[in-house]
Amino acid sequence: MAAQGWLRTMQVSMNYIWRTANIRGPSCIKAKVLCIQECRRTFITSIVRQAVPTTQILMPALSPTMEEGTIVKWVKKEGEAIAPGDMLCEIETDKATIAMDSDEEGILAKIIVPEGTKNVKVNQLIALMVEEGEDITQVEVPLDTDVVTNPAETTDHSSHSHTDPKESVLMSPAVRILLETYRLNPRLIPATGPKGRLLKGDVLRYVAQEGKPFTKPGEAEVTTKTAMPTTMPPLVTPLQPDKSETTEAKPVAPKPQSASRGTEYTDLPNSNMRRTIAKRLSESKANIPHTYASTNCVMDSLIQFRKGLSVKVSMNDFIIKAAAISLKQVPEMNVVWNGKEAELSGQVDISVAVATEAGLITPIVKTADSLAVAEISSTLKDLASRAREGKLKPQEFQGGSFTISNLGMYGITEFSAVINPPQACILAIGGTRLLFNADEKIQSIMTATLSCDRRMVDDELAARWLEAFKSNIEKPSRLLL
Amino acid sequence: MLRAGLRSLTSTSPLNKPDLNTARTYEQLKAGVSIKMRMGCILKIIVASPSKKGLLVRARGLASEVNEAEFELSDCPIHKLDSGPAKKAVLTRDDGLHFYRQMQVIRRMENAASTMYKSKVIRGFCHLYSGQEACAIGMQAAIHKDDSIITAYRCHAWTYIRGIPVADILSELAAPCMLMYEVNDVKYDLSEKLKGEGRKNGCSKGKGGSMHMYGHEYYGGNGIVGAQVPLGGGIALAHKYRDNGQICVTLYGDGAANQGQVFETYNMAKLWDLPVIFVCENNGYGMGTSVERAAATTEYHTRGDYIPGIKVDGMDILTVREATRFAADFTRSGKGPILMELTTYRYYGHSMSDPGTSYRSRDEVQSIRKTRDPIMSLREKLLDSGLADTDDIKRIEKEAKEEVDAAVKVAQAGPEPALDDLFLDVYADDNMEGHKIRGCDNWIRQATN
Ligand SMILES: Cc1ncc(C[n+]2csc(CCOP(=O)(O)OP(=O)(O)O)c2C)c(N)n1
Ligand SMILES: [Mg+2]
Repeated sequence: MAAQGWLRTMQVSMNYIWRTANIRGPSCIKAKVLCIQECRRTFITSIVRQAVPTTQILMPALSPTMEEGTIVKWVKKEGEAIAPGDMLCEIETDKATIAMDSDEEGILAKIIVPEGTKNVKVNQLIALMVEEGEDITQVEVPLDTDVVTNPAETTDHSSHSHTDPKESVLMSPAVRILLETYRLNPRLIPATGPKGRLLKGDVLRYVAQEGKPFTKPGEAEVTTKTAMPTTMPPLVTPLQPDKSETTEAKPVAPKPQSASRGTEYTDLPNSNMRRTIAKRLSESKANIPHTYASTNCVMDSLIQFRKGLSVKVSMNDFIIKAAAISLKQVPEMNVVWNGKEAELSGQVDISVAVATEAGLITPIVKTADSLAVAEISSTLKDLASRAREGKLKPQEFQGGSFTISNLGMYGITEFSAVINPPQACILAIGGTRLLFNADEKIQSIMTATLSCDRRMVDDELAARWLEAFKSNIEKPSRLLL
Repeated sequence: MLRAGLRSLTSTSPLNKPDLNTARTYEQLKAGVSIKMRMGCILKIIVASPSKKGLLVRARGLASEVNEAEFELSDCPIHKLDSGPAKKAVLTRDDGLHFYRQMQVIRRMENAASTMYKSKVIRGFCHLYSGQEACAIGMQAAIHKDDSIITAYRCHAWTYIRGIPVADILSELAAPCMLMYEVNDVKYDLSEKLKGEGRKNGCSKGKGGSMHMYGHEYYGGNGIVGAQVPLGGGIALAHKYRDNGQICVTLYGDGAANQGQVFETYNMAKLWDLPVIFVCENNGYGMGTSVERAAATTEYHTRGDYIPGIKVDGMDILTVREATRFAADFTRSGKGPILMELTTYRYYGHSMSDPGTSYRSRDEVQSIRKTRDPIMSLREKLLDSGLADTDDIKRIEKEAKEEVDAAVKVAQAGPEPALDDLFLDVYADDNMEGHKIRGCDNWIRQATN
């Protein structure tokens, strides 16, 4: 019994060594490996005090990722002769059910792990073979086989967390680049991956929690707070036409996953809409030569003007109107790509980006140049609410000659948007903010950034259009036409 | 008479089992196997033949008195040749036992590799030669030690035949537990990337793995299917240029045989009459496609068109040896390239990730193992002719087993390559001492040798 206990300890420590071997530095490994050999030898000699010499059949790794498997069926019976290449048993791996063949010739003397056994660890003893002519009744099952069958998972891998500076950190190249770029010390970051692997999520979480950047002594302090995004902005950021609607139409953020383990991922299935967005926008960004131009618009007159109105219209409605009449004034801008060349659109149809649960959609305010601001307002309200219910008709969001995306209500200063093909332009509107002008007078400034398809719209044309837009939005009287 | 004599010889062994009876012998005798017996003092012959197989020979008593036997060989169809290889061959006892030992070692070495793979001691690529042993051994037996060999990734057996010990091969296969390096105080784990490379005591210092092993005039395993064929052509060109009388044996599989670069090499080899034997080891399958499904003609020995060819039973070591002797004489004499197709079979799947039974039936594999196995057929030849008795066979098998078992231990205990070894042996020049080379990013600059 004492011997058995000792054997058990050896098994446990052997296990432990194998595992730590993966995370320790190379110098100590040599010693560890030798130690493993010692353990193994001891182990084998201690069980091989059997009457008959046996060949141990261990649970095979039948796929590179297999850690354990199920013995579905023993094809050979105890006492049956085995030729090399004969199927011994069927094993269900993490991927498939695969036959385990014998490399050796002999007699299957003893089945140790019966069929139907689940979670049999790789390298666990599953059967014994003897040479032909041996008496299988004389075969002794190695003592303490269950120790082999249940490799003790006593080692708590998280206990290898990175307080010991000599200890190394497992990580992927992506994480490594992140650390190098932002000079973070991996050992200060709690790792949650398997075997203490440092995950990208761990680093991001650490940064989000204001983790300190890592600087070597003597090296200049590098501030990473601004360089390091604390959270990732959504790829397609939704736009709200009206502040009043913001509350009810928050973009759906991915549901936070069980926050305990950073190792777990949740795949969010693509909706059809998401798939279309992904496809069209990557086509756009990859194939259209985007060029960008920004202008600052002084919004004081418009703000003043809007305050005096009896009807309730949003700033966005004015922006749509201003863009529409600017397109009327500079019609070369109101173009779409027909596959070969630019095609003038007869009508000024403005697509307006609206956030819905499923993603961003762009309902169209048709002939916006000839609508009054109040009409634009009511049209858009109707379109936006039906968009959120998923009740838009295709012709209400397909087509359009120009797009406006407005993130002003989120306090965004300025941004650039991806062109919505086949259109030539998209106007990205930032929030209005107070700035001093040259005379030290406070002004409300809104930055409008135009993304243009450079194949159709030269920078000079874009500048001319922005100039028109600026003067229109700065003179509200023009918007009443 | 003869049969009775043989029977008495073999049955003197206490280990003789009924399945080693002589019924087969009789059939083979009838089929024309003639055995030359040399009765007399064998000890004299032993003293007179100083050979590296001395141990084996010396251990032999007077159990068997047959010293050489002549065998009829399998038929070899020829292409664009007036005559083919010899139809009969003499096998000496020394050679027979030596071949048997080599076969046993290779078979067991590959079995050990398979077992180690299933225990995850070996990882990554691993292609086994089991079933094809007669090809490598038979060919090597008929060429000179300075003749060149170049083959594909299925190269463990060739490495052994070219003189690399089993322990060095298995060590090369046994993947390191881990490998790490440190930059800016941060350690990086390379063990995943390097899986498939071996231990420091491996024959490629643990940096080659299963497909990249080399030796004297042995240009190694090559991982890119077919790429070794033009390289082999180049080696032959070097021999011709140096006029050194050496030849190059360039091996490829039936799958590789369909590649364009093979035909480009045929063309230049013939154009310049290079001293090269092209050898197509036709084991019936590429990675999983049978020859019938992949090749417009499966007569691989004819596919050099203007290059003469022989089709050889690759499961019979003597036929392989004699055919190779013929081919080597042919090309060494300046007649230009010659093509040999060796029809053979692989028992394992293409590599360790292929169970090997999805594109062929288990029955097919097992029936070849039972009827055409090259080891079994050599054993029968040895026993039936009296060149060896069951004691000899048992002893050789035991020795082979011990050799491989010991090698497995060495391989598992071997140290991993040191981190800095990564940067060594990058240049063929040996005066690059201290020259700095870059790692996978700009921070790593290490001295090489
Ligand atoms: C250029 C190239 N293409 C494909 C592969 C993948 N591959 C590896 S082995 C193999 C099959 C080759 O079969 P064969 O030439 O008959 O050799 P065998 O494996 O039967 O010895 C293939 C397609 C490769 N290694 N290199
Ligand atoms: Mg093949």
